Amino acid sequence: MTDLQWARLSNDAFNLALFAYLAAMVGYFAYLAFGRDLIWRVSRTVAFVGLAGGVVSIVARGFAANRVPWGNMYEYSVLLATLVVAGYLLIVEGMFHARTLGGFALMFSVLTMAVAVSFLYVGPGPLVPALNSYWIKIHVQAAIWGSSLFALGGIVTLLYLWQDRRERAQLTSLRTQEPPPIMGGSLDVDPGVGVGASSGPEAPADLDPDVDEIAPSGAVAKSSRLPSAQTLDRVAYRIIAFAFPIWTFAVIAGAIWAQEAWGRYWGWDPKETWSFITWVIFAGYLHARATSGWKGRRAAVIAVVGFVSLLITYYAVNLWIVGLHSYAK
Amino acid sequence: MMGTRMPTSPPTLSRSLMLAWRTLRSMRTALILLLLLALGSVAGSLIPQWPNSAARVVEYQARHPVWGDFFERAGLFDVFGSWWFVLITVLLFVSLVACLIPRTRSVVRAFRARPMQAREIDAFPQHQVMAVNGTPDDAIAAAGRVMRRRWYRVARDADRPAIAGEKGLAREAGSLMFHWAFILILVGVIFGKGTGYSGYALVVEGDSWFDAAANYDGQIRTGRFFDGDYSGTGIELHDFGSAYRQTGQPMDFVSQVTLLHPDGSPIRDQDIRVNHPAEVNGLRIYQVNFGWAPRVTIRDPGGEVFDHEVVMDRVPAPDGVPELAMPWRGVVKLPGEGPGGRDVAIELQLWPDGEAYTNFLVTGQPTAMLRANHPVLRYSVWQGRLTDLANDRLDTSLMRRTARGLVGEGFSGDLTTGRQLSPGDVGSGSTISFPELRQYSVFQVGRDAGVPIVLVAAILILVGLLPALYTSRRKVWVRAERAGDGSMLEMGGFALQRKPQFEEEFTKLADAIMSAAGGPLPTEPSESRHKPTEQQVGIP
Repeated sequence: MTDLQWARLSNDAFNLALFAYLAAMVGYFAYLAFGRDLIWRVSRTVAFVGLAGGVVSIVARGFAANRVPWGNMYEYSVLLATLVVAGYLLIVEGMFHARTLGGFALMFSVLTMAVAVSFLYVGPGPLVPALNSYWIKIHVQAAIWGSSLFALGGIVTLLYLWQDRRERAQLTSLRTQEPPPIMGGSLDVDPGVGVGASSGPEAPADLDPDVDEIAPSGAVAKSSRLPSAQTLDRVAYRIIAFAFPIWTFAVIAGAIWAQEAWGRYWGWDPKETWSFITWVIFAGYLHARATSGWKGRRAAVIAVVGFVSLLITYYAVNLWIVGLHSYAK
Repeated sequence: MMGTRMPTSPPTLSRSLMLAWRTLRSMRTALILLLLLALGSVAGSLIPQWPNSAARVVEYQARHPVWGDFFERAGLFDVFGSWWFVLITVLLFVSLVACLIPRTRSVVRAFRARPMQAREIDAFPQHQVMAVNGTPDDAIAAAGRVMRRRWYRVARDADRPAIAGEKGLAREAGSLMFHWAFILILVGVIFGKGTGYSGYALVVEGDSWFDAAANYDGQIRTGRFFDGDYSGTGIELHDFGSAYRQTGQPMDFVSQVTLLHPDGSPIRDQDIRVNHPAEVNGLRIYQVNFGWAPRVTIRDPGGEVFDHEVVMDRVPAPDGVPELAMPWRGVVKLPGEGPGGRDVAIELQLWPDGEAYTNFLVTGQPTAMLRANHPVLRYSVWQGRLTDLANDRLDTSLMRRTARGLVGEGFSGDLTTGRQLSPGDVGSGSTISFPELRQYSVFQVGRDAGVPIVLVAAILILVGLLPALYTSRRKVWVRAERAGDGSMLEMGGFALQRKPQFEEEFTKLADAIMSAAGGPLPTEPSESRHKPTEQQVGIP
């Protein structure tokens, strides 16, 4: 196949992926609303079709340009969207069996791809000299994996905050109507307080950042098709704890590359600064999880701030802030 | 000690210091400092910074004088060098160290100490009782072997057949390694930047440049502890090459150089390009910039007064015009060379592509100049008094323009009339010649001995992070009692983190210990009991 044919295939596969994601997103929201198993099965299949389209688009793009297919913002966006969907299907659904969150993950990917194709599209072509290094394989890959996982963690955290508020509201109304049910402490008003209850005799509560106990969903959570707040919190933590070392590695690899390309490993370039800010915020989140009084909602708010910072690191820094990473065009 | 309430009495200095110390040690303080650091960095990325973009700072100050003044005073134009950013960083590091020292001590103690025996083990979240086919001592020895094989540190009880095991100190050790590595980064940065230097070297094709204070032309930043020991290494530039696509997108920039010993003898030939710096004598040399340097010869009736390459700057491109379409500018200053001892300045404008220049004159459309192609040099002659001798600008307030003209590569022009001269014609005697167009290359040259330290620290950060996030501290106890022909084994344990995973691990460990201790007792069915899982907790 010629470069041009590869480029066409890449664009066709992109369109397929975008529409499949859009359809799957609608399907997942319908599943959330109506809870019919068939809707979930169809949506999941369509999401997998979209994922295949995304992968084909990325690979074909690489063949069209004869280089790694993540050399500009358009390509990075496609990869990011693909990895968020893959991460959702494999981690959130595959490992944590939470099926109702698909619409939110797909919405992120659809928006990312829509922005990419509307504002960031460039044809396949060779890299500018500053990017022409084997570090693009290492640094950019790590950055994309880290970003997509942080994004997924951020989405789940937002849902946690929403669900948590809902559960609290219902709990309050339950309490006003009848005496509280005996729930073994797991429905404590402050999720942070009940955590240490089942730990061993030597386990201080604030040394346990990963609240691993699977909470009984109980009367409150059953009224919603979303997983319980505690489950969402746990899933979000696991994803972010998985993403954090990858992001750390991406920043370090970037510093090593900067030393090779620009003669200094750190220069407070806007991209460096913002990836540092994102790193600091998620580091704060991990610490907050281990600090009494900061667990639960406060920590979640920090993670959401980190998610926003991630979006700024990606979009705002590339498009509006002048710096060495302005590769959008 | 830390938790005890102080008796109420007037605050003393030592008590205030204690309070400050305890506040610094708390995780909450560290968290707030971390978030402040992030906030400061946000400001540093949104407001133009002196070290990164001085021109934009000047522009900002001109456009917003009030805010500009405030930002300048608050250090917001140099956030990462401001006193308050340094203060936050220092406090964070002090807080970090204050937190790390006791934690490190207790980890070292934990590594030295043998796992503690437990008095009662049936209260632990994981608990199991089983009858096995061996004597109590054999069963405990077998349990010890199984646990050791699974990386448990074990301690046998001296008084009775019982054993204690623990695992997962790597979590705390990894976390400590991660945090201490930041101190190492700080050390590497201060050492490297303090003892090193970094500057820019401009070399014209055919010339050599040597690493010495004077040759940086002020474009250098030296560390506080740098002792002036420049390497003396030389760079001889043979050729600079650039390649562009038709769209003007750059493809490659490369400087072909010979690296030289301080005495001028060659070390080796090397191509320096973006992403491929040269390294020699602890010095790293990077390709950072390039430009045109036409050789210009100026003669007056008395003879040659100037013969040198003139380093040209880019003329900034207005919006919508590609940078490559813009001409380059430069100036030659000749103090006292004019009639009556007046100063002379010749302002130069270079169009590397003569066809693009002609095209521009005819159509008014700028076109990108991707390579040298019949280059032309436009010049203006000024006479009067020079206010300075800098060669990157010309102040014409005390000068008068006497002529202007244009000269192609390989030709000469008359400085009095501005006429281009044919070969052999000397015109008025005052002439400008443009014998050839060369390029110059700008290298960043520097030494930073802290880089390996920072790299090691970065690796330690990653290595420490993995166990800190993904392992857990686990403790297991086994004790045995004679029961009939065999013994009853009682096992208890808990994990501080990753509890669901431990449940599974505990069951497997129990099975392995049972088979190692001679298998289940055949006469009595083995009794196995789990603590109720969390799902069952809710049932009263």
